[in-house]
Formats: sequence, structure tokens, C-alpha cells
Amino acid sequence: MAKDLAGGTAMGRVRRWVPLQALFLVLLWAAAPAGADSASAASAKAGQNAAPAVATSGGSSATPPSEPPPSATPSGDTPPAAADFKTIDQDVQGLKKEVLDLNRDLFVLEEELLFPANTQVAVFVSMDVGTFFGLDSVTLKMDNKEVTNYLYTEREAEALLKGGVQRVYLGNLKVGSHELVALFTGKGPHERDYRRGATLNFSKSVGAKYIELKISDRAVREQPEFEVKEWE
Amino acid sequence: MALAVLAMTLAVTSAYTPAAGAAATVGGEVPDFALRTLEGQNLRLSEFRGEVVLVNFWATWCSSCREQIASLEDLHDKYRKAGLVLLSVNLDDDAVQAADMARRLKISYPVLMDGRKDVAKLYQLENLPLTVLVDREGTVRQVYPGFKKGDEKAYLEQIRGLLKE
Repeated sequence: MAKDLAGGTAMGRVRRWVPLQALFLVLLWAAAPAGADSASAASAKAGQNAAPAVATSGGSSATPPSEPPPSATPSGDTPPAAADFKTIDQDVQGLKKEVLDLNRDLFVLEEELLFPANTQVAVFVSMDVGTFFGLDSVTLKMDNKEVTNYLYTEREAEALLKGGVQRVYLGNLKVGSHELVALFTGKGPHERDYRRGATLNFSKSVGAKYIELKISDRAVREQPEFEVKEWE
Repeated sequence: MALAVLAMTLAVTSAYTPAAGAAATVGGEVPDFALRTLEGQNLRLSEFRGEVVLVNFWATWCSSCREQIASLEDLHDKYRKAGLVLLSVNLDDDAVQAADMARRLKISYPVLMDGRKDVAKLYQLENLPLTVLVDREGTVRQVYPGFKKGDEKAYLEQIRGLLKE
């Protein structure tokens, strides 16, 4: 008996082979109709399988892209409860999309109403290379009044180094001349605490004003450079 | 007519936009903030989206805060591997004093310094301690003002529920 279990005797080998052969035949039988269209049973089955796929591709507008592909179960076999569930799921996805669209529209509308183009001032921060400066925070003073103080996490600083441009301030200013002071803190060359300010006197006319605070490396002096420039 | 439409639009937008001084209200989006830790690292709350976060406001002069911190430390020990993030916001003016207390209380989670009280104002803090439980979507699920013995059971129940979601 012990030898049988180990597959040592001829009888044991036969006992092990018979179920394997049976399994192989079942698999062969199952695979053959799928590949060959000639058999009527196979074509009927293939037709059933293809039906839901065609219906799905036709109704792609209602189906969100994140939805998983339809299962291979023939549509006729789908229980009514599952079909209902699918419809509810599609409805929920549709509603979510509508909410997102509405949210976007409201966001745009809010900006247009709260920051009209004729008074709007936006300040952006960008970073180039960053070998000599690790950004920690930016403080902005508009006409000697602090308007923002932004702390940068490691991920945010990395995003700036990868080419990201961040809108650090959006506000309203009346027409005329104004002064912007930007104060940068961080780690300078040799990991020393670094604090530097940059000032820009600008004139606000009718129309939006965009200002960029650009941090770059000055390789010759091995120092960071802080530039404040107006976008035309 | 145009004015009425504008007024309605403003009402809608102001309702939709979280006000700058929005307090943490149950069911609402948690007000975001960034603060520096005692170790000098900057942390932003929104970067923990996807985790269950417990934000705890405290100060060294608040005795019930110290009592609460011991319970929170136990919770943190037990559930941090399951995805619980604990952030404590200290309101002391003196960071050295806060660091000393944090060391004595053996706080193992980040201690964020709100010396300027910007975040306290944002959350419209009226008393201490204040604990805010935030789910993985960034929604405030519970606000616990104050602390008394036995409150940790409520924290535990809520946290376990949120971790399972």
C-alpha cells in the first residue's frame, strides 16, 4: 500500500494515469468547440458568448472606461438580480461622472466670479535643477501685507523639480503700482539653512497679471538664484 | 433677473467651496493643512489620503491632553500596520517645550507644530484636546472634543470600522 501511494508499482502508475488521461480528454473536448466553428454546438455557444461583447462595445458611451470587461457567461444565463445590479452600477457611475463635471464647472465659475480677469493676480512658483537649494517654504507679501505662507512637503518639492509649476497665490488687486516680496526658506549649499528674499515692483493694469517666482541654480557661483518675473 | 441669477450662482458657489475658516464638520471634507514636525519635516494632511487619519490637537499645559496621548499611543501601536495614521498638532509657542513633553510622553507619531495657530483657527478650535477622525476619502467621520477616561473605547470602535471600509 505504501508503495502504491508512492507510485512505485505498475498498478500505482496506472491508477495515477487514468484520472490524468480523463482530465486531458475533458480539456480537449472543452477546447475543441471554441476553436472550430464547424460544429453546430460550438457555433451556438460562440454566438452566445459574442452577444454581450457586441452590445457592450455598441453602448460604450454609457459604459465608464473603468468598468471591467463583460464576463464570458452567456447573456441568457445572467440572473435578473445580477442584471439589475449592473444597471444600478452603471447609473451610479453615470451620476459620479455628472457630479465631477458639475464640480469642474463650479470651480471655473467660482474663479471667474471671485477673481475677475480685470483684478486678478496670480503668482506661480517653479524650480529648475535644485542642486544648491532645497525648498522649504515661500512667504508672499503684497504691499507689505502677508498674503500667503506655503510649506512644501518633500513630494511637492520633488514635483516642482520635475517641471511642475504651482500656483501659490491667487487674489485681486486694483489697478496701479504694487510691490511683491517673496521670501524663500530652505536648505542651501552644504545643507545650510538658507533664507532669501526677492522683490518685484509691478504695475497692475486692466487684465489679469501673472507673476512667476523662478528658483534656479547658478552653477558658476554655486548658489541658488531667485528670479521674479512678470508674464506678458 | 440677471442679478437674481448672479446671487443664486454666488450662493451655490459659496456653499460648494469650503470657506477658508471651515471647521471640521462630520461628513464634510477635512480642512487641509501643512505643518512642520519637531524633526523639521513638512507634512501635509492631504498627502495621507487613502489612510485612516486621526488628527489630535494638544498643548503641554493641557492635562487631559496628556492623559489622552497615552491612549492614542496604544491605538497607534496596535493599528498603524493596518493603515492608521496619527498626527498630533501641538499649539505651544515654545517648540523646545513641546519637544521635551513629546519625549517624556514617548510619542512615536509625528508631532506638528502650530505655533502661529493657523491650523487651530482653521479648525475653529475652542477647547483642548480636539481629535478628528478622517476616513480614507478625506471626509471627517468623527470629531471628539475633550477627553475623559473611557473615550478610547469609542475611538477604537470607530477606527476599526473605518479600517475595514
